[in-house]
Amino acid sequence: MRPADPRLVLLLIALAGVLAFVLPGHATTLLTEALILALFALSLDLLVGHARLTSFGHAGPWALGAYLAGAMMLSWGVPLPFAVLLAGLGTAALAIPIGWLCVRTGGVTFAMLSLAFAQLGYAVVVKWNAVTGGSDGLAGIPRAGLPDVLAGREGYHLLVAVFLAAAYLVAHGFITSPLGRIVAAVRENEQRAEALGHDPRRIRLTVFVLSYFLAGIAGALYAGFAGYVSPELFFWTVSGHVLVMVILGGAGTLIGPMLGALVFFYAEHELSALTESWGLFLGLLFILVVIFAPRGLMGLVRRTS
Amino acid sequence: MDPLTLFTLQTLNALSLSALLFFISLGLTLIFGIMRVVNFAHGALFMLGAYVGVATQTASGSFLLSLIAAPLAAAVLGLAFERCALSRLYAREHSAFLLVTFGLALALTEAIRLIWGADARQAELPDSLSGIVFVMDEPFPIYRLLLIGAGLACALLCWAGLQRTRLGLLLRAASQNPTMTAALGNDVGRVRAAVFAMACALAALGGALAAPLLSASLGLGSNVIIDAFVIVMIGGMGSFLGTAAGSLLVGFAQTFGNYYAPELALGMTYALMIAVLVVRPGGLFGRVE
Repeated sequence: MRPADPRLVLLLIALAGVLAFVLPGHATTLLTEALILALFALSLDLLVGHARLTSFGHAGPWALGAYLAGAMMLSWGVPLPFAVLLAGLGTAALAIPIGWLCVRTGGVTFAMLSLAFAQLGYAVVVKWNAVTGGSDGLAGIPRAGLPDVLAGREGYHLLVAVFLAAAYLVAHGFITSPLGRIVAAVRENEQRAEALGHDPRRIRLTVFVLSYFLAGIAGALYAGFAGYVSPELFFWTVSGHVLVMVILGGAGTLIGPMLGALVFFYAEHELSALTESWGLFLGLLFILVVIFAPRGLMGLVRRTS
Repeated sequence: MDPLTLFTLQTLNALSLSALLFFISLGLTLIFGIMRVVNFAHGALFMLGAYVGVATQTASGSFLLSLIAAPLAAAVLGLAFERCALSRLYAREHSAFLLVTFGLALALTEAIRLIWGADARQAELPDSLSGIVFVMDEPFPIYRLLLIGAGLACALLCWAGLQRTRLGLLLRAASQNPTMTAALGNDVGRVRAAVFAMACALAALGGALAAPLLSASLGLGSNVIIDAFVIVMIGGMGSFLGTAAGSLLVGFAQTFGNYYAPELALGMTYALMIAVLVVRPGGLFGRVE
């Protein structure tokens, strides 16, 4: 599929950012969370859509980023933008050894290996009480070092939108770069790419680390947004949800997964306001989307336009 | 209690846990081996089995009847799901199955909440099964011994079914080469439907058997499926022997881990899985895809 025009995407993100000054307060809070999830889904799309490595452990980098940023702001008062970047870098650093082990495999084994690492993180966080707060998590995380304008509801929303736009530019820049083209080549035909002198494992590792870096940033922004982190962030259902967002929106399109995140988040929110058994309808909705919209929501958009 | 007695009792505990885990893992591995589908709804089906089991027992008072009703209900649901959703998707990518089975898990969990409420329910064992026996002079619940027997019987029956019957032959053929199997005049679509229904029934039977021990609660499905994934990956996806070995490994690691090193027990199974997959990406008994 032809990628969407990046200027259009940036315009949409800017629009979502400015909406904070139009919408009532609680709607802004919702949209902030939705944008953070969009960043999370964007990071996974690099792996699932672009490298076709179906990760089922993306809760791992998300939660790790959240815990790293949370701890930095809570214990040392590291200013939020730095804490977010450092958390992303920390996650990326850990992604090197983890990715080195994971990208040797593909398909279901890759999915399960990434899942095992995320669950291992869950186990460590639950049991390592002294540092991580155990099953209670860390509460009272401040939005450290931000001027009042940015620490407030609208300000933080804008900050999230800026991070999302930057992350999108990084992801888009990556897949259109020469290296990104090689990733696509490895995805389409590993033997041929190898014959051209590229090491598939190192190429995949690059995507893996970049994807974990962005997911770590998303998690870190979530820690600042929610003000607390808990082991549930690591749990496999989180990985399942974000994967659904990516596939729902249309894997490999970058914009699709971001839209998928918004649709997923608002569908969940609206349905839960309407009926207690929202999960029932959400589940049925997924089944119908998969059967009738094979390329996700972006596929639907392309077909009608 | 002397160490040897303790060890024996813990071994029996581990074996009974392994038996329960085997019921859910076997179905998962069968579905993967024959359909190449990773069924995320398998934990929810296990949970459905537990709830249907408890409900049947409450209504009829018979524990035995609950062991029949639970797998039956799951088989019917599984069959309907395979025919209506999965069968339309075999030509598509892996990710499609992921989303539909995840959707089924979500919908099923909510349906269970809707029907039976959010509170945990426990099955009552009949008097004949709720007693204890003395193992090396220490009391041990009869029911756990029964579970070990049930797991063993299930393993033997399924193994014999796969190796000695015509249906088993067909299943193995469809697992190795579906195109060739279809070309020889077999209806692979029906084989897949039968396997899916049987695997769902196995998971639900495991759930009904687990209900008196673990109680039926809404978190049951999402917790048990992770163990099942670990088992299936350790053993090798699609491998019968591997699933049996994996169930034993995880059952023992969890039981002994919880006793001797409770801090490390939770992480141990995942570390075990990572170690196995790093050394042998196809699992202990599997082949690399």
